Amino acid sequence: MTEPAIRVSDVTKIFPTPFRRRRIVALQHLNLEIAPGEIYGLLGPNGSGKSTTLKIILGLIQPTRGSVRVFGRDNSTVAVRRDIGFLPENAYFHKFLTGTETLRFHARLSGLGSRESKSRIAELLETVGLTRAADARLSTYSKGMLQRIGLAQALIHRPKILVLDEPTAAVDPAGSRDIQNLIASSKKTGTTILLSSHLLTQVQEVCDRIGILHRGKLIREGRLEDLLAIENQTEFIVENTTPEFLDQLERQIASVNGRVVLRRKPQTSLEQLFLKVTETRDE
Amino acid sequence: MSSSLGRIGAIARTTFIELARLRVFYVLILFALVLIISSSFIARISFQQELQVTRDIALGAINFFLSMLAIVATAQLLPRDLEDRVIYSVLAKPVRRFEYMMGKFFGVLGLLTISLIAMSVLCLAVIHLREGSAVRETMQQMTQSPPEELERALTGLHQAGVNQDLAFALLLTLMKAAVLASATLCISSFATSNIFTISAMAMVYLVGHLETIARDYWLHQHSAGWLIRAFLALVLLFFPDLQAFNLSDQIIAGASLSSLALTKLLGLGAVYIVGYLVIAIAIFTQREL
Repeated sequence: MTEPAIRVSDVTKIFPTPFRRRRIVALQHLNLEIAPGEIYGLLGPNGSGKSTTLKIILGLIQPTRGSVRVFGRDNSTVAVRRDIGFLPENAYFHKFLTGTETLRFHARLSGLGSRESKSRIAELLETVGLTRAADARLSTYSKGMLQRIGLAQALIHRPKILVLDEPTAAVDPAGSRDIQNLIASSKKTGTTILLSSHLLTQVQEVCDRIGILHRGKLIREGRLEDLLAIENQTEFIVENTTPEFLDQLERQIASVNGRVVLRRKPQTSLEQLFLKVTETRDE
Repeated sequence: MSSSLGRIGAIARTTFIELARLRVFYVLILFALVLIISSSFIARISFQQELQVTRDIALGAINFFLSMLAIVATAQLLPRDLEDRVIYSVLAKPVRRFEYMMGKFFGVLGLLTISLIAMSVLCLAVIHLREGSAVRETMQQMTQSPPEELERALTGLHQAGVNQDLAFALLLTLMKAAVLASATLCISSFATSNIFTISAMAMVYLVGHLETIARDYWLHQHSAGWLIRAFLALVLLFFPDLQAFNLSDQIIAGASLSSLALTKLLGLGAVYIVGYLVIAIAIFTQREL
């Protein structure tokens, strides 16, 4: 049987508050398994324990109880982090470095040789669309550009697992779409992705499976199609038919005691409309 | 091992670039320059005294500048990395926490060394020029004097000018700044703000300079009991004796420092640095980010 990419077993995290008797229970008996190549979305409102979960997986903080294994290995070993790339929430990185210098710094930390890192940096700058801004300092980057360079640094050492904490927070819709496309292309290479977000539409579009955290507890988990499907309803979208045919169809449904819940023209999403309009203007 | 050194080197290099681009760095250089240049306006008593006072001011300025730079620059390293969340992307890589701390320390040390070299070049140039002009003027004024008297005057000038003792004093100034940087890193490994770190270091700086006087007073003026001795030993253990690294007074007084004494002082500094770094790493390794 294949080892899960990430296995979180019965993890509880309690933060003691100095000089007070009160303790903050950030996570309670959390169990998670993420299969290799899967995109897993961790959802939850602010303060639900998403970032704490990610930090525990990365070994940045220690669980009070429980354990985390990455491809079967204890996550407290440094070697495990060779397999993981991480994009923190709202990261600003070193503002005084250029895009290329930032990637070179992270390449060195990941143990890449100078020749390998040179070609990898050029490749990643191209992938995230920052080739033209490669020599500009990060202090001049927009929020979206910072997220893209952040994604590039997370991918620099070709990790098997990508951990993304709110990757599109405060990014405009076009930037958000670019990042979503980058996530989708990473999946094609077999990368396992753990994504934390409270942007539900985004999660719905890219994730295979989701877990919903609330007050430190995993209250729901499963495949998206299973969780979102309404069992007693069926949806189909047709084109090139006449209104008469649709009326006839409705009558046939009624004849077998069925009920048409909704009949309307399909609508595009506001995001799609925004992207279409802004792209047309750019051209 | 080599990859560990590579990671420490990468963090040190980035830390150096970060610090070199801080505005406070340039303000402090300006301050030091003002102090050094102010030595040009000393009332002349004798050539030898003028040179001695110039050296005193220059060494004092460098000493103060490097010490402040060591504290201020080091104090903001960890809080800034936490604020910008750089620390998460760095430690999520295969980087051990001791490598991170060592990288930070060596980055600061690089900055202090470069600063000292820049300041020393300026300081030595000013002293060398003044020494040259003092020698010329002395020779002109003492043309009628006996050769022994002239020889004595010139020896006095050379002793007050650029020589080995001055180089030793500068080396110890760097060691003192490195001790302060390691102590600052130690405090910031558990501090939650750089204000706290700087305030705590101001106390360390003060105690470090006064403890010799206090120790001499308690041990020689009073009949010190075991409690006082234990307290003084404890103070010495945690607060570095910073006054030991200040050689300007001895040099002004014309005393020469032996190589053995220099080695002992460098060894003392190294012990403090290693001690502070070990504590800093131990605390930081346990710290939840």
